[in-house]
Amino acid sequence: MTNQHKLVQAFSTSLGVEPAMVTDDLTYDTIPQWDSTAHMILIAELEDEFKVMLDTDDIIDMSSVAKAKQILTKYDVDFDA
Amino acid sequence: MKPNVETLTGYQVTLRPVELPDLDMLRQWRNSPQVSQYMLSHAMITQEQQLAWFKKVERDNSQQHFMISYKDTLIGSLNIKSRLVGESLAQASVIEPGLYIADNRYRNNIIAFSPTLLINDYCFDQLNCDKLVAVVKPDNHAALNYNEKLGYKVVKQGELIEIELNFDDYQDHSKTLKALLSRNASR
Repeated sequence: MTNQHKLVQAFSTSLGVEPAMVTDDLTYDTIPQWDSTAHMILIAELEDEFKVMLDTDDIIDMSSVAKAKQILTKYDVDFDA
Repeated sequence: MKPNVETLTGYQVTLRPVELPDLDMLRQWRNSPQVSQYMLSHAMITQEQQLAWFKKVERDNSQQHFMISYKDTLIGSLNIKSRLVGESLAQASVIEPGLYIADNRYRNNIIAFSPTLLINDYCFDQLNCDKLVAVVKPDNHAALNYNEKLGYKVVKQGELIEIELNFDDYQDHSKTLKALLSRNASR
C-alpha cells in the first residue's frame, strides 16, 4: 500500500467518511465529521500508521489533507512514490 | 481593591490581562459581524462606552478580562465573571467564562480549545470554583458543540441555552485534548 493510500485510509477511518471524500482540499471543521474529537482520533491514527510522533505545532497546523501531507513529509514520509 | 491579575501560559497560548492599548483592537473585534452575531447584544460599542467599561472592570474583582496570544499574535479575547453579582472571583463557587477567537485562521482550529483549557484549569485549580456555566444562543451550534466536547451539559433550554460543567466531567472530557496540546512545540 502506498503512503497516499495509507493517508486516505487513515482519514477515512478517523472521520468516518468515504475514501472518495478524502481530497487535498478537505479541511478541518468544514464537514461535521471532522471535529475536534475526530481530529484527535486522526492524529492517533496517522501516528500509528506512519510510526511518527507529531509535535503540537503540527497537530494544530494539520488543518487539511494537503497540510497533513506537507507535515508528514517533514517526518520523512514520502508521498511521491 | 482588585488583586493583581495573573498572566497564564499553557497549551501553546498565553492569557494576559487586557490593557488600555488593547482597546482599539478589542472594539474592532467585538463590533465585527462574525463576533457580534453570537453575542447577546448586537449593539455597536463606541470608544466612550468601551473606555467607561474598561475603567469599571479594572476595579471590579468579580471579573477578569484577558487577551489571547498564540505565537506572539493576539488572536482573541476571554473573560471570566462571578455568576453572583457582587461576589469576587476568589469567593465564587460558580464562574461564567466567555471567549471569542477573532482571528479567522484559528477559529476553526484545535488551538481554539487552548485558551479554554487554560482558563478552566485556573478556575477549578486556583480559584477553586465548583462549576462553570455559560449561556449560549440556540443557533450558535459551533459554541454548543465546542462546549459539549469539553464536558458541558445542557441544564436549561429556552430562548437561550444554559450549560454547565463540573470538575469531574471537565477532567474526563479534556484529558486527550490536553495531552495533544501539551506536547513539545517546534521540531
